[in-house]
Amino acid sequence: MNALEEKLNRFVKYRISEEDVRLLIDHLKQKAPVYAPHNSGEASFSYELVEKSTDVVLQYPRTMQPIKKFFLPPKEVLLNFNIKDNTYSKPEVPEETRIFFGIHSYEMASLKRLDYSFTQGHRESNYISRRKYAIFVGISYEPDESHFSKSVGIDVEETEGFDLFLLKNDTGYFLLEITETGKKLLDGYKENLVPDREELKLEPLRFKSKIKYHHNRLPSVFDHVYKSKVWEKYAEICVGCGTCNLLCSTCYCFDIRDEVELDAEHGSRTRYWDGCMLNTFAEVAGGENFRGSLARRTRHRLYRKFRYITAKSEMLHCVGCGRCSHYCPVGISMTDIVNDLIADHEEKQKREKI
Amino acid sequence: MENFALPTEDLYSPEIATITRVETLTESEKRFEIRMPGEKALNHKPGQFVEVSIFGFGEAPISICSSPTRGPLFELTVRATGRLTDKMHLLSEGSQIGIRGPFGNGFDPGAFKGKDILFVCGGIGLAPLKSLIDYTLDRREDFGRIIILYGTRNPSEILFPEEIKTWQSRKDVEFAITVDQASEEWQGNVGVITTLIPGLELDVKNTIVTVVGPPVMYKFVLMSLKGKRIPDENIYLSLERRMKCGVGKCGHCQINDTYVCQDGPVYHYPRVKQLEEAI
Amino acid sequence: MSKPRIAFFDFTSCEGCQLNKLNLENDLLSLLELVDIVEFREAMDDTADTYDVAFIEGSISTPTCVKRIYDIRRRAKVLVSLGSCAVLGGVNAMKNLHPADWVQEAVYGEDKYLFPSMPVQPVSAYVKVDYEIRGCPMSTPEFLHVLKSIVLGRKPEIFDHAVCVECKLHENECVLDKGMFCLGPVSRAGCEAVCPENGQYCTGCRGLVSNANIAGAVGMLKRHGFSEQEARKKLQMYSSLNKLINEAECRHA
Repeated sequence: MNALEEKLNRFVKYRISEEDVRLLIDHLKQKAPVYAPHNSGEASFSYELVEKSTDVVLQYPRTMQPIKKFFLPPKEVLLNFNIKDNTYSKPEVPEETRIFFGIHSYEMASLKRLDYSFTQGHRESNYISRRKYAIFVGISYEPDESHFSKSVGIDVEETEGFDLFLLKNDTGYFLLEITETGKKLLDGYKENLVPDREELKLEPLRFKSKIKYHHNRLPSVFDHVYKSKVWEKYAEICVGCGTCNLLCSTCYCFDIRDEVELDAEHGSRTRYWDGCMLNTFAEVAGGENFRGSLARRTRHRLYRKFRYITAKSEMLHCVGCGRCSHYCPVGISMTDIVNDLIADHEEKQKREKI
Repeated sequence: MENFALPTEDLYSPEIATITRVETLTESEKRFEIRMPGEKALNHKPGQFVEVSIFGFGEAPISICSSPTRGPLFELTVRATGRLTDKMHLLSEGSQIGIRGPFGNGFDPGAFKGKDILFVCGGIGLAPLKSLIDYTLDRREDFGRIIILYGTRNPSEILFPEEIKTWQSRKDVEFAITVDQASEEWQGNVGVITTLIPGLELDVKNTIVTVVGPPVMYKFVLMSLKGKRIPDENIYLSLERRMKCGVGKCGHCQINDTYVCQDGPVYHYPRVKQLEEAI
Repeated sequence: MSKPRIAFFDFTSCEGCQLNKLNLENDLLSLLELVDIVEFREAMDDTADTYDVAFIEGSISTPTCVKRIYDIRRRAKVLVSLGSCAVLGGVNAMKNLHPADWVQEAVYGEDKYLFPSMPVQPVSAYVKVDYEIRGCPMSTPEFLHVLKSIVLGRKPEIFDHAVCVECKLHENECVLDKGMFCLGPVSRAGCEAVCPENGQYCTGCRGLVSNANIAGAVGMLKRHGFSEQEARKKLQMYSSLNKLINEAECRHA
């Protein structure tokens, strides 16, 4: 039994059918609003408030916007103001219990990174108020061609941060009680639910996308590839649309803009998701742009994931969700860039030895 | 796991302050004296900045140009170059503005005690340095020589003429000024600021150099300082980026792994040398 | 503050941007509280001598246009070009890609001598333009944003990032992924991604972002199954004056 199996086997677990999972959603809905993945469009998924448990998609590769949208909304009014009398009010951020259901392990890991970013130094009330009473029910998933979370040290069955976890098996799911909160959530769920004593054995999962090095070695690779030619290679293909930033589950940069109403008196100060891949992101007042080229911007994006905050937080800030690769219109894959950097680094080392 | 029960901060709500004085310095620069609500002291350090906010016009980071030694009111020198700063230039005494901050690290004048200080100020870079200059003048006995070099593009862009007169007349201040392009009446030095450096006689080991100016200036000034054999660890720079939030979140001011609004804007030169994107 | 006097003028265009303003409905009344409209051929007969703000629709394509735009500029404190034709030359400018004589004949036949015509240029090729509102047609929220900004005396926020940003903020399914053509990744945002949001593809009607990687965009479209010729043609529909579209060499895909 490996360490992960050992850990999972310590949790109390129940064997339930897919039908039971839907009953569980109905049960949870009585306790608090439940948000879960839904179909949106032809082949896309998004987290939405659950109206009917049958609408919830249990097996899906990934949602388009990551779970950060509930804690750092794409658009958030920070202040409502009155220009004429110079007054303002701050919209109240509700501190409510919300249940996030059917969440993948890399999403939970991304929240751990965002938690770091919004509590280090200044502890931002907007984020923390939304995050404070959130409850998470995890679910296992089948990696697709873009997922590579295992390469950054996050197992599909990683239960950290979840209160309950659903592990898919041949007939349905194992429901694991991870925390006391999770256990309490199950009060009154099913009359005759009896713990399953069978020992869990995990199927080895095959990730199609992989990083060549163990994740522990990645920050040190980034110590040597700042001037690599790889940045130029990808900048030639990249169109700088910013999709990778906006959909990244750990990116949190934002812009703040004032807008006024037609009475030219009332207005609001709003923040929007922003991204370091965009043209004007690093421009200063005089118009100088310190990261004018796509190569520099790509480098900054990757260093933010693998080196800069990693050194401070001791966590890679890439969780392998694969959104940047999957939604990139020109097909740039995160693992390709990192593997190219590794290859470049190895070559450089070889040359230095000779 | 993160403890969400700990106190949190309402980071983006400004305090409504009052403009108590407006002085036109040049065609594009004005100085504003600001009073916080209840005449509360800002408690800033020289080199720090505030986020100024005007509703409907957004926010902009502005360095504080007055010394904390000079009472609870503080001063901002503002160049009209953008949405907020253009609007600010239209405001008059009694107008209200929002203030968040002070932000950034600022200078630590305590660490300069007993040292000679060389100020290298280019253009509007004099504004943040004036805060430190005034501080050292108010605690004059704590410091050795005070040498101020100031360069502007032309005589009409000279900031703080009153203060400059005082600095020029004081025996315990060495002051030199140069302009890139002279006007007809100008009788002083002509040339970029680096032309003032070679002639200085400095006790290099005991001299702290503080440099603030437009992005293009740094490389040349640093070269000149190297020529004078000033050790890198005696040099401090203040860097400009577009600090939008001021609290280390929004990402706009990031230079490699550092946030200018948190770890800067004042940087020790050995640190800047590790930052590829800095200058 | 007295109400700014604003005027609208049409040059070579379909006048769709102007009609778009009449569709403001409820906002139109609030707008009239804010400004005085002193000239607007689509909606009224009055004319005026000077304007605080002149909105220009359409491209410059005849000698008469040139005379008129100089005249308007002299009488306007602020001049705003409105819509793709005025800002970029727009669809009209595609005629510049063909021999002038052939175009004249194709349009006017034997009467071609009665209609002097010149290569199409955006308004900014002749006079100083203070602000630009892009789009075909212009987006009304953006028009209102610019107008409110001018009334307040601030610079409007005009974006220089891709339509993708707005699609991602709205969590729209990617139209390229649905097998459709799309120029969103290199086209300027500010339209709230209205086309992709409604199942259409982005035609790049607001022009390209600055420093656009055109070779990259052609490579991207080839990767999604479109020919290089189609990619360049569609890139040119609104941005035909952008010479780089034909020149940028695509080395990938």
